[in-house]
Amino acid sequence: MKKILFIYILISLVSCEPDDICSENTQTTPRLVIEFFDIENFEVPKTVPGLFAVGIDNQGNEVTILGEVVNSRSVIELPLNGSENQTQFKLYSNYDIVDNEVEGNPDVISIAYETESIYVSSACGYKNNFSIQGFSIEQDIDLWMISTEITISEVTNENESHVKIFH
Amino acid sequence: MKMKVMSKYSISILCLIFAFGLTSAQSNLEEKKPNIQQDSVVFQEKYGLRFGVDISRLARTAFESDYSGFELNADYRLSKKLYTAGELGFEEKSTSTSYLDSNAKGNYFKAGIDYNLYENWLGMENLIISGLRFGFSSFSQTRDRYTIYDTNGQTWGGIVNDDSKEFDELTAAWLELIFGIKAELLNNVFLGLNVQIKARLAEQSPSNFENLYIPGFGRTYDSSKIGTGFSYTITYLLPIYKKARIQKLREDDNEKTAVE
Repeated sequence: MKKILFIYILISLVSCEPDDICSENTQTTPRLVIEFFDIENFEVPKTVPGLFAVGIDNQGNEVTILGEVVNSRSVIELPLNGSENQTQFKLYSNYDIVDNEVEGNPDVISIAYETESIYVSSACGYKNNFSIQGFSIEQDIDLWMISTEITISEVTNENESHVKIFH
Repeated sequence: MKMKVMSKYSISILCLIFAFGLTSAQSNLEEKKPNIQQDSVVFQEKYGLRFGVDISRLARTAFESDYSGFELNADYRLSKKLYTAGELGFEEKSTSTSYLDSNAKGNYFKAGIDYNLYENWLGMENLIISGLRFGFSSFSQTRDRYTIYDTNGQTWGGIVNDDSKEFDELTAAWLELIFGIKAELLNNVFLGLNVQIKARLAEQSPSNFENLYIPGFGRTYDSSKIGTGFSYTITYLLPIYKKARIQKLREDDNEKTAVE
């Protein structure tokens, strides 16, 4: 009986290997979470109508962010480029396409950061964590963003917003 | 702190082995004054040093491109059923997952006892073994490649790091339960097969990485400290002395003498 039990335990140990698949619940590389607040009342989140984001690469080309859709909301998650120490995004308010022409007000934001690769597990490999060094709005003639504030500089998860933008 | 835990365990293992030694010494005394009766048969059992190699590791070295290893094993018979046993080996293993390539290389030893559960027919000396080992490994690990896991990273393209980095002076200690058989195929030549279940007691992990494979212990699992292994051994018994084993022919007579 003991032998049977022993063999059973052995087989059950060998047969299940959850380690080979990286669970979706595992916190891997986080995105930067930006939350929008009312410039007239700093405590109150304020929805940006028709908010849409595109990435800008080193050459100034626009890069489509996977999963990003036009939506009125007060929170946006943006993936930082782990192979650079700065990423730019173009954030539109009132984004719309009329007769193949993009309408809306684009403002460009720049995020400077340091990247650290952190071991997660054999199934997930490594993740990047970011330490925000600077956050700025590029000047243009028609800014809808007014000011910013870095609330959490260490980007390790997406549970809370890292940056506040007032508009 | 890790060393402390480890020494605590190794001391308790030593105590365990020592306790086994004591009990076996007692049974030795009893066996030295056998009450030889007419209706019994005497067989000279061989006591000595048995040593050999793990042929499964040789085969894996030959046929698996990501593995090379060698293991010597030996045991010494202490009493009718108890053996002190140990293994000494070298292993090198490459581990490759979707996000990681690494390689572990090092030496290990295992020491402990084997207990023969099998009541042999007279004249045979086969074993069904239940054993206990303390294992220790000293090794290095090289991380050849890793990919940053980023479900949202497709926007900017994946990041692969090819900078090879070696982590030295890694160690691990574990306890191992063994279950197996050893059968005498030719005179003094044994073929053995065993499976091992191991529990890691302590380990020195590389910083910002993990021991994915520990020579002697095998692959590690994120979810537990348990490991498994197997060996296929061929060994030679060098007989040093013989000791009589007395077998009664009829159980009834035995009881009668006890009553008288």
